[in-house]
Amino acid sequence: MSRKITLWLCALMLVLSAALVGGCGGGGEKSGEESKSAGEGGEIKVGIAGPFTGAIAETGTTIKNAVLLAEEQVNKAGGINGKQVKLDLQDDKADPKEAAAVANKFASDKSILAVVGHYTSSTTLAGSPIYNRVGLSHIGIGCTSPAISDAGPFTYRDITSDSYDGEFVANWMIEEGFKNIAVAYENDDYGKGLAEVYKSKIESLGGKVVAIEPYNLGETKDFSAILTKFKAANPDSLFIAGQYNEAAMLLKQGKGIGFKLPVFGSNGLYSDALIKLGGAEVEGLRCVGAFHKDSSSQEAKDFIEAYKAKYGLEPDIWAAYAYDAANILFEAIKNGGEDRTKINEYLTTLKDFNGATGVTSFDQNGDCMKDPLKLIIKDGKFALYQK
Amino acid sequence: MDMFFQQLVNGLTVGSLYALIALGYTMVYGILKIINFAHGDILMIGTFIGLVLVTKFHLAFVPALLVAMLITAIMGILVERIAYRPVRTADKLIALLSALGVSIFLVNFAQLVWGTATHPFPANIGGDPIILGEVHIGILQIWALGVSLLLMAGLHLFVNHTQMGVAMRATSYNVDYARLMGINVDNIISVTFAIGSGLAAAAGILIGVYYDAVYPVMGYSAGLKAFTAAVLGGIGSIPGAMLGGLLLGVLENEGAAYLSAGYKDAIAFALLIIILLIKPTGLMGRNEQQKV
Amino acid sequence: MEHLARFTLNWRNKTATLVLLAILLVIPLLVSNEYYIHVLITLGLFVILSLSLNLVSGYTGQLSIGHAAFYGIGAYVTALLMLKLNVSFLLALPASGLVTAFFGLLLGLPTMRLAGDYLAIVTLGFGEIVRLVLLNWDKVTRGPMGLPGIPAPELGTYIFMSKTPFYYLVLVLALLTVLAMRRIVNSGFGLSLIAVSQDELAAEAVGINTLRCKISSFIISAFFAGVAGGFYAVYISFVSPDSFTFMDSIMVLEMVVLGGLASIPGSIIGAVVLGLVPELLRFMAEYRMLIFGALMVVIVIFKPDGFWSARKRTRNAIMKDLVARNMLDGKTVKPRGEVSESA
Repeated sequence: MSRKITLWLCALMLVLSAALVGGCGGGGEKSGEESKSAGEGGEIKVGIAGPFTGAIAETGTTIKNAVLLAEEQVNKAGGINGKQVKLDLQDDKADPKEAAAVANKFASDKSILAVVGHYTSSTTLAGSPIYNRVGLSHIGIGCTSPAISDAGPFTYRDITSDSYDGEFVANWMIEEGFKNIAVAYENDDYGKGLAEVYKSKIESLGGKVVAIEPYNLGETKDFSAILTKFKAANPDSLFIAGQYNEAAMLLKQGKGIGFKLPVFGSNGLYSDALIKLGGAEVEGLRCVGAFHKDSSSQEAKDFIEAYKAKYGLEPDIWAAYAYDAANILFEAIKNGGEDRTKINEYLTTLKDFNGATGVTSFDQNGDCMKDPLKLIIKDGKFALYQK
Repeated sequence: MDMFFQQLVNGLTVGSLYALIALGYTMVYGILKIINFAHGDILMIGTFIGLVLVTKFHLAFVPALLVAMLITAIMGILVERIAYRPVRTADKLIALLSALGVSIFLVNFAQLVWGTATHPFPANIGGDPIILGEVHIGILQIWALGVSLLLMAGLHLFVNHTQMGVAMRATSYNVDYARLMGINVDNIISVTFAIGSGLAAAAGILIGVYYDAVYPVMGYSAGLKAFTAAVLGGIGSIPGAMLGGLLLGVLENEGAAYLSAGYKDAIAFALLIIILLIKPTGLMGRNEQQKV
Repeated sequence: MEHLARFTLNWRNKTATLVLLAILLVIPLLVSNEYYIHVLITLGLFVILSLSLNLVSGYTGQLSIGHAAFYGIGAYVTALLMLKLNVSFLLALPASGLVTAFFGLLLGLPTMRLAGDYLAIVTLGFGEIVRLVLLNWDKVTRGPMGLPGIPAPELGTYIFMSKTPFYYLVLVLALLTVLAMRRIVNSGFGLSLIAVSQDELAAEAVGINTLRCKISSFIISAFFAGVAGGFYAVYISFVSPDSFTFMDSIMVLEMVVLGGLASIPGSIIGAVVLGLVPELLRFMAEYRMLIFGALMVVIVIFKPDGFWSARKRTRNAIMKDLVARNMLDGKTVKPRGEVSESA
């Protein structure tokens, strides 16, 4: 018996030490990298947190493409203050739990100067307490929940809050003459915040929300119960506050049970993936977005051209937001130096940054204001909406 | 009332799919007395095979369905040979762990090959829904219901009116006696896995088409529900699995309409617990003559 | 002679334990990389979880596949107490244990009528219902958004900022769990639990209140899982329903079974091995979980009794005892599944 116990304890220790050695192997590699770059005069490290896999991995890919483009451009132009920029991409899977882990990783890595991320409102809210605790500035790129305004002094976003977008869509739909509206919203910070703002605006304009139903991002696949409830409420139009995946499924399943209405969507629907997944069922869908290839700004045109040259694809709106966020941080590091506090000081005073998504100026909450564009899906493509 | 009938139709559709999957659980349990936790993931692989056949090989829907069922049936046999047969005599928990290993393996295999994103299933089954009053019955719903009823009828005939079916029932009744009667138990187990996996592939493809969504973790929720249905009906009983599936589908959909859509799954599980507490062997368990 | 042997055995055991303890205590001083500390903290959590499940599924023999629900309830109770009521961590942690213990009582009640696979399904249903309530009761739990910004624990004026204090905290909690479990399983109550797992009817016949045994083991098990959940909440600083899924329950069960049912060292080894393997496989990147799944199948095929099975061990010991007394011929009678000395 005793031999066995000793043997097991030895084995346990062996495993433990193997873990450490194995881990050290990985760690050694990393430090090797660091020392190599230090030999070249050091590098500037910026963290990128995005949904590179998971329910909205398509968006993650365009974000990745865009920030890598920004990295390439800045390094070609000589880097920042003579140092090359190195991005550290971490996958948050659009999952708040993963986002907290990623945020902890960035927060404890002193060489990370600032972070682009996260993409969804929920991941941003999961990460922001951690960033704010250690004083690491981060710029959210798709997170539009009103709650993010109060997330802390180190939290910024280059996208407009829903309290603005929700009212914008509400106005638009009332203008178009819709009165009895069904609302499907993603049950998270993004969809819920948007649906609330939207509902009160519609009601203040004399319209009515006749049915409102939540669904869960990446989890709800069966929309039949929601659709049946909508049908029973007899609406004249539908507003979807969510992402493209669920929107496509909702509309395709709706067709099966004879649910066909004019549909409006939030900016989460503005992705070519919506058209790919939804096919004929999303034709005529109207939504908002802050960036379109037909828009007139020079920055937007340059960005689209560079992106197309590098990847052979049209960038989507999230690519543009990610690209702008990365460039804003590069600008901040250029001015503030390699110091997390100074970088944040610069960001609080950022005024009139011209980027692909328009002009960005941060207010005291780290929010910015940009007028969205009205868009419609026409012949399988997003086009600027004209009445 | 329209909402009631619409949800009844929706519930029967989903319920018939649950029943198809539940059959796989119940048949394996009947013979081996183990819960085949990899069943849902075999379903998922079957669905992806169907998707590949439709999108890459441009097969029409029905041939794709049949070929996918066949391939998945073979896969089911292989999974049993590799992961279950070696631990058949060991503790039941060990077989459970082996099944979980297979489950983890299959999900990650699918994620490597097809990515983590959700794929649409372009089945090209068009047509307008049938309208009865205010109730719409979609073409896809008719397909799902029709195919699953057809398969269940086929299984019923097979189990009750073929020699192999009789041997299966005998094995389920008592493995040792069956062996003494000259039944090749190993073969029976292989056939059971093949049938269960084939039915799962069919159910998976129908689910994929119905929701227009195929993704690597789809087996988890489908499997869990079907498993619930199998227990609800009395695990080990074939008619029980069918009844359990349909009942679960209808009850959870009506619950979703009148209570809350978010609590739909919670309704299903609460129901399961209540029924088990009242009748601990499920609705048609134990006393049921017809067992596989 | 025999006494001497036993003494040396105990002494060697104790030394080994002390050495291990010493190593565990100095690790944070030697290891500077936060990632390793993080892995060790996770292992500590796994140890508490697998030990607590082992009481129900190993010793009492009640298969439970909803253990993550207790873990989740504990995490949410701590999170809500600290966020909404500003309760200090020192109070919130035991409170979440107690609240979870109450749910353990609830889940223990169905054992009145159900056993085996059917009981397992009820535990599964319970686990799913808890997750779905966390997901849909968004006024309190914020649904899928989870609860962010859970404050770091404070002990007096000391605030947990780095990973090291969390490491020592989880070490203390894990050691307390080990000691508590040892006390429990070595007591008369523990023997009753084992009796229930072996033969419930016989246990009843010798006057054991089997229902009380089963419910008590659920309550105790839930308490420890709840405490682990509370620790998790403050450590990650964020809780959401998807951290407490069926797969998490299954992982814990796997640790218990793979380690060896009804064995305290077994549960610890199971937790350490199954917690470490995915981390060690990290270099394989996307192939990691694929290999992990395959490994699981291979391990159960070649080691179906777990790494450290108490049942088999006891039997071996008895057999050896008999052999030693020349009552049996050691060569002809060999218990099935004996763990060979060279293992």
